Amino acid sequence: MLAARVPQTMTEKILARASGRDHVRPGEDIEARPDFVISYDFPGYTDVFFREAREEFGVERVSSPERFVLFIDHMVPAAAPKEEELHRVTRAWGSAQGVPVHERKGIGHQVSAELGYATPGAFVVHFDGHVSQLGAFGVYAFGARKGVLEAYVSETLALTVPPTVRVVVTGTLQPGVMARDVFHHLVRVMGPSSCAFKAVELAGPVIDAMSIEGRQTICGQAMFLGATTMLIAPDARTLEWTRGRSRLDLEPVWPDADAAYERVVTVDVSSLEPIVVVPPSPANTRDLKDHLGLQVHTGYLGSCASGRLEDLRAAATVLRGRQVKPGFQLHVVPTSQTIMAQAAREGLLETLVEAGAFISSPTCDYCYGRIATMADGQRAVSTGTLNTPGRMGSVDSEIYICNAAVVAASAIEGRIADPRPYLGVA
Amino acid sequence: MGLRNLRGRVAWVFDEDDFDIDLIIGIRNIKITDVDELAKVAMADRAPGFAATVQRGDLLVGGRNFGYGHPHYPAMRAMRHLGIAGVVAESFSPGFFRGEIAMGFPLVTCPGIVAAVQRGDEIEVDWAAGCVRHLGRGLSLPLQPLGAAERETLEAGGLIPYLKRRIGRTIGVQ
Repeated sequence: MLAARVPQTMTEKILARASGRDHVRPGEDIEARPDFVISYDFPGYTDVFFREAREEFGVERVSSPERFVLFIDHMVPAAAPKEEELHRVTRAWGSAQGVPVHERKGIGHQVSAELGYATPGAFVVHFDGHVSQLGAFGVYAFGARKGVLEAYVSETLALTVPPTVRVVVTGTLQPGVMARDVFHHLVRVMGPSSCAFKAVELAGPVIDAMSIEGRQTICGQAMFLGATTMLIAPDARTLEWTRGRSRLDLEPVWPDADAAYERVVTVDVSSLEPIVVVPPSPANTRDLKDHLGLQVHTGYLGSCASGRLEDLRAAATVLRGRQVKPGFQLHVVPTSQTIMAQAAREGLLETLVEAGAFISSPTCDYCYGRIATMADGQRAVSTGTLNTPGRMGSVDSEIYICNAAVVAASAIEGRIADPRPYLGVA
Repeated sequence: MGLRNLRGRVAWVFDEDDFDIDLIIGIRNIKITDVDELAKVAMADRAPGFAATVQRGDLLVGGRNFGYGHPHYPAMRAMRHLGIAGVVAESFSPGFFRGEIAMGFPLVTCPGIVAAVQRGDEIEVDWAAGCVRHLGRGLSLPLQPLGAAERETLEAGGLIPYLKRRIGRTIGVQ
């Protein structure tokens, strides 16, 4: 007799396979083997992992190095000898271990997808939680913080299977409303800790109709709902994107129709308008229309959350034939070299440069104020990940998070502006 | 083997929800690695002179979703250096929770704690009884039990000793 089939969510299926079981249930403690262990080099993280693995655990070589990948995307280019020294340590470790080190290719969370680490059905760990954006490809990817050390010193990682919250996004997006708005609207409707210690399965007609890029944007911000990660079931678009890229021959997973969810939340976005997220935290989603006219000094279009082609296209549409307000600093940082090259082919970079944008090669460094640092009393519109006071410079500077078109429109006016008139949609 | 109870004064109440712990040291100080320097700047924006008021074993109290944002390590390194023995909060942001448990730093989820205590009150975390006691008012609030791995990590004193035990066990099985 066949064993009774246990209905499962995507999370449960992926974690069951990775832990060698038929099925797992929420709350179960398992030891799962990561298909990929992804890191970027950062002081106190990778340099410490390398040292601790050797000195504390006697691990000279990581197990199955083909599972590992390192990115150099922070402190690029280096601005101090000790930064370059950190990169040198990373390159040497990768070389000795047989682990690839990708540098100057873009932000690792994006480049890892381009390089096929976002294999649908895979189980991925990183120390940084924004790796959840690989969930756009049906991957269970989570940030274990220092806990990722476990993957450096053993084949498996101990974790508790999280319950899954299913979030169904319904309705039709209005013109000028982007994926970034959808995510922050979910935080507003559901609450910033609504999914604490849970996995989110994101679904619904709005997600079905959304680009891969938009899905990456939303999944990558899962931590600001409190979620461990966020996944979207693969569809034709996902499989087309990952075909020829996937590094593993894995069966994609889909949720069972009768899977057990901790709860199902339906959010209709038909009346959603562009948002801003006001300081001091990503918990503060507000309507853009209530903040129009606020003076801003600088704008950042980039990051692992935004800075992809649709973001650059939106900004170029807004700025085509127009000029950034004199004195306003607009920084545009495509998320990867691949994206930057495509933006060049499409003429987007030309349009943005002629409008007065300052364009940088891909780097994480604008997002946390390492460069383009703000002084006291300055204010930014930003597509970066976070708006904590001081993140982009002085603690007395402010960050308003918004979509790429809002950054572009605000750059023209020198104040928070509605992009829809520039987009010809209002 | 059980977890040692925590007993100390409430050194500070962060009563706001979604508190970003980077604000404890100020993001401008986040790259400081010297723990003495970190301890000097801790709370400088909120309570100058805070360091002098802390006694070894004191506890912090936090609101809901404590540790929201990007929970970098320097803030709690500074707090531990000052003598802070743990945080009792309404709830924690998962990234912060994982990261600090890995450091062997006790975090106690205890709904109702913000309304129940004030700075300076003495409280006790009783893991075995599953409660947080207000020693002055004789009040007791239930705490949310830890998961197995979290408990073992705290018992071992942090991620590295915990992993040494765990990996030793795995090798024994194979």
